Amino acid sequence: MALLEVSGLTREFGGLRAVSNLSFEVRAGELLGLIGPNGAGKTTVFNLVTGFLRPTAGDIRLEGKSLVGLKPHAVNRRGIARTFQIVKPFPHLTVRENVTIAALARLGRREAAATEATRVLEQVGLDGKFDSPAADMTLSDQKRMEIARALATNPKLLLLDEPLCGLNSREIEDACVLIEKIRAGGVTIVLVEHVMKAIMRISDRVVVIRQGEKIAEGTPAQIVSDPAVIAAYFGKRVA
Amino acid sequence: MRRLIPLVAALALFAIPLGVSNQFLLHLCISVLMWTVLGVAWNLLGGYAGQVSFGHASFFGVGAYTTMILYLSFGLAPWYGMALGGVMGALLSLPIGLICFRLRGPYFSLSTLAVAEIVRLVALNWESLTAGPMGLLITTLPEVPFFGSAVNWERKEPFFYIIALVAILAMLGTWAFTRSRLGSELVAIREDEDAAESIGINTVRAKVLTLAASAFFAGVGGGFYSLYYRYIDPDAVFAISLSMEMVFLAVVGGLRTVIGPVIGAVFLATIAELFRDRFTVGHLIFYGLFMMIVIRYMPEGIWGRALRLLRLSR
Repeated sequence: MALLEVSGLTREFGGLRAVSNLSFEVRAGELLGLIGPNGAGKTTVFNLVTGFLRPTAGDIRLEGKSLVGLKPHAVNRRGIARTFQIVKPFPHLTVRENVTIAALARLGRREAAATEATRVLEQVGLDGKFDSPAADMTLSDQKRMEIARALATNPKLLLLDEPLCGLNSREIEDACVLIEKIRAGGVTIVLVEHVMKAIMRISDRVVVIRQGEKIAEGTPAQIVSDPAVIAAYFGKRVA
Repeated sequence: MRRLIPLVAALALFAIPLGVSNQFLLHLCISVLMWTVLGVAWNLLGGYAGQVSFGHASFFGVGAYTTMILYLSFGLAPWYGMALGGVMGALLSLPIGLICFRLRGPYFSLSTLAVAEIVRLVALNWESLTAGPMGLLITTLPEVPFFGSAVNWERKEPFFYIIALVAILAMLGTWAFTRSRLGSELVAIREDEDAAESIGINTVRAKVLTLAASAFFAGVGGGFYSLYYRYIDPDAVFAISLSMEMVFLAVVGGLRTVIGPVIGAVFLATIAELFRDRFTVGHLIFYGLFMMIVIRYMPEGIWGRALRLLRLSR
């Protein structure tokens, strides 16, 4: 059975259909890429899955149980964690505090939360920066910290909203290694991304959406040669 | 050693009436302590949770009326009434919180102002319960035996001890609150509400609980007010200016500090007592001026600045 099943998902903003009858599934243990041109509705899909937005129609099921109508905190407790396209650190807190708060929300005990925070911070490679204020970190480190904060809630499914956006090529390389490492640790990942080279390399499967509708789905190799995808990104060949 | 400081301060506080027999000075102390309780109450929500309320007079007023009505109509001793006044304040806060917390930031603040006006107008017009603009008056307080004699309610000392106890409990409550799990959830909410939700924090629940605690102490403060002044009417206990004064003293004293509201209350009560007799609402002008100066030169409040200087000098 799929870990996450999205079926007939639709979201309208006034007259605009940001997401339209979208269906896809995420299998346990896989790394699924969700791509599409600007404004295709990728972030809206994340906001719908995590409860920040309510769907106009359709269903979202995690391990068979519907998530529709749950608040974001309840969705997180069911086992879905996310990062944000524009990072949302707790700016005045240190890196360690940022992650400890997330662990504390789940574990309830300070010592256990502190241990858990240290563990995930080491996992994402932020050793030695635990006590810096989050606002003073580089974007790359803030994104790592956000991933650590999400991991501290012990998710089954991790939604990463453009984790590579704004990073230099060296940082992109490191971030890809990290994402693959997290997946190898047993966390299923959905990745929204614009950096094609990276997403084609690390994804098991890719779903392409355009104007809120799914136009293609398959392995990276299938996607790059799909005429609909090429048309969406580069326009139709004339002649 | 440092742990003893609060204990010594509390003992010193209780010793004040032994050394001060001047009834005006004692009145000033009572006034400071009552404002402290209100500032502590407001600071829980406005400081720690970062949710600026312009409507805390509702809880104060409901506390005052609860205490008064329970005594006048049912003969319940007003010190029990005070506690129930706090409970009523907290109960009233639940629907208000569930409505207003749908909004964030300035929209939340404006909605609290609107709700407080509704509550004031209800109190003004529900004459069968509140006697409307006539107000309610206590003529005598019940006798309480105290070491063989009766407590003399004509003197200030009993009131001083009651409100000192409430103030200490409120500050202890704040201190415990900052160390609790709820306290750390509020830190996350203040920093970034969406991120807090995303890591599994029920932000509405955390804010509603904090509002209830805050409303409880504001309600107890209102109950004390009715007991001390023995007369209340809707314009006195539901006034917008009252809500503003709570904001003032928490901001001037220092947001998110346990001691800040005490400092704010000292300034507020002193300014009020100095100018209230000479100009009807003149003290408000001085509050305003004083608040502007503090915000301009020490935005973290007087105690907040003091704490920072202490930390720097160490």
